[in-house]
Amino acid sequence: MDQLGIMLAVLGAALAAGFAGSGSAIGVGIAGESGAGIMTEDPGKFGLVLLLQALPGTQGIYGLLTAFFAILKVGLLGGDAVSVNVWQGLGVLFACLPIAIAGFYSGIAQGKTSAACIQMIAKRPEETGKAVILPAMVETYAVLALLMSIILLNSIQF
Amino acid sequence: MTCSVDYGYAVSRLRAMENRLLEPGVFQRLLDSEDLSSAIRVLSETPYGKWILEQQSEEKFDKAIESELLYIYSETERFVPDPGLYFICRLPYDIHNIKVLLKGIFNQKEGGKRRMDLLTGLGNMPVDEMVMAIESEDYRLMPFGFHRTVPDCVSIWDQSHDILQVERVLDEALFSLQVKIAGEMPFEGVRLFVRSRIDAENIRNLARLKRMGFEAPQAASFFHNGGSVPVEKVLSLLNEPFEGWERFLSFADVSKTLSSVQEHTDLDSLIMDLERSIDDFLSGILAKFKYSAFAPENVLHFLWLKEIEAKNLRILLVGIGNGADRSVLRRLLRNV
Repeated sequence: MDQLGIMLAVLGAALAAGFAGSGSAIGVGIAGESGAGIMTEDPGKFGLVLLLQALPGTQGIYGLLTAFFAILKVGLLGGDAVSVNVWQGLGVLFACLPIAIAGFYSGIAQGKTSAACIQMIAKRPEETGKAVILPAMVETYAVLALLMSIILLNSIQF
Repeated sequence: MTCSVDYGYAVSRLRAMENRLLEPGVFQRLLDSEDLSSAIRVLSETPYGKWILEQQSEEKFDKAIESELLYIYSETERFVPDPGLYFICRLPYDIHNIKVLLKGIFNQKEGGKRRMDLLTGLGNMPVDEMVMAIESEDYRLMPFGFHRTVPDCVSIWDQSHDILQVERVLDEALFSLQVKIAGEMPFEGVRLFVRSRIDAENIRNLARLKRMGFEAPQAASFFHNGGSVPVEKVLSLLNEPFEGWERFLSFADVSKTLSSVQEHTDLDSLIMDLERSIDDFLSGILAKFKYSAFAPENVLHFLWLKEIEAKNLRILLVGIGNGADRSVLRRLLRNV
């Protein structure tokens, strides 16, 4: 049963890294397509486009961070071996879900917002400040999910 | 068929290309130009400049405008996922070319001259191929069903020598094709645009036929199916005074085109303002899609804006060249 507990924890870590990373990949891809469209006509906007394209990438980092926390918690990343029962494993799995789900959806949503803002700076480069703020609003919910995942992971007693 | 998120690249690129569109200040400077030479100088400072340089004389400004449009269409073709979007915009030029070629052939049969200079390269079908197909009467390779429409037109001419009937058949073919192409794409905005364009064309024809004193039975073939307003409804307006048209059509969006021209007392001035009002109405239909970052309708919007810009330039340059009153020219400008 200890093995099942560990596996559940590993599944949670995999979901956190996998889903949040996928959301980021899709989001960065969407923003990148828009960025390429702008730069074909105006290569001088590379700096602004890169900044906006990178924003949806943070969800992937949050997912990876949570995954590290999870496997660190169950002792798979060094340190003393920890005995993990099924309920503890389930706890780790559930703790990883907030960033897995919110990371996936917010990554895509942020990518779309970034793409729209990239289009905005194509016509109004002087509005770059506002263009960065709008996708950053989406980021808030990924950060909240990350916080919740970390709090939940810390609350599981081994 | 592509889904709308695939338009991220295309719409972004078009947003950047919108910076090529002339600003109202340029139109103002053109309006303030004393003569055609100074207007061409103003235009030389814009993206049209490189095309103007290629022309041998400043009277050839129309070729420069056509070159810019051709450049825009060629660029757009490279990255727009659904070709139907630019087919719809370029079809009127194909029909124009067919009309020019057929009229040339018909004229020649009656001892007249051909006007090959009126052909435009803006159509979907390359001009050389179209000339070859029509002159050799080998229509098999003509796209968009032209291989059936063109022989029909030739036989109509052979039987009746009625050039208006030929034009009506070609116009009907144009709108049927646009409806068909729009129907094959999953974009409601494109279908709405095509329907509205047919409605607008019917209203335009209605005003012209009313001015020419046509009766309903004679006029029926000048109206096109496929719009939001049934042809019978439009036809019934022919017997009504134009002051009441807006009320009769109040159920349809196209009635907006009439609201701004109601104060006219004669059909001549109404028709002049109606042309502008129709173009503004169609621009308005597509303009609402500019708030969506991935809407395919943005492609149509950009191409339409470019067409309107070209139309404005032609109005201004022809008017300035002929010494037209600047206030009249200003009144004719669309969407500026």
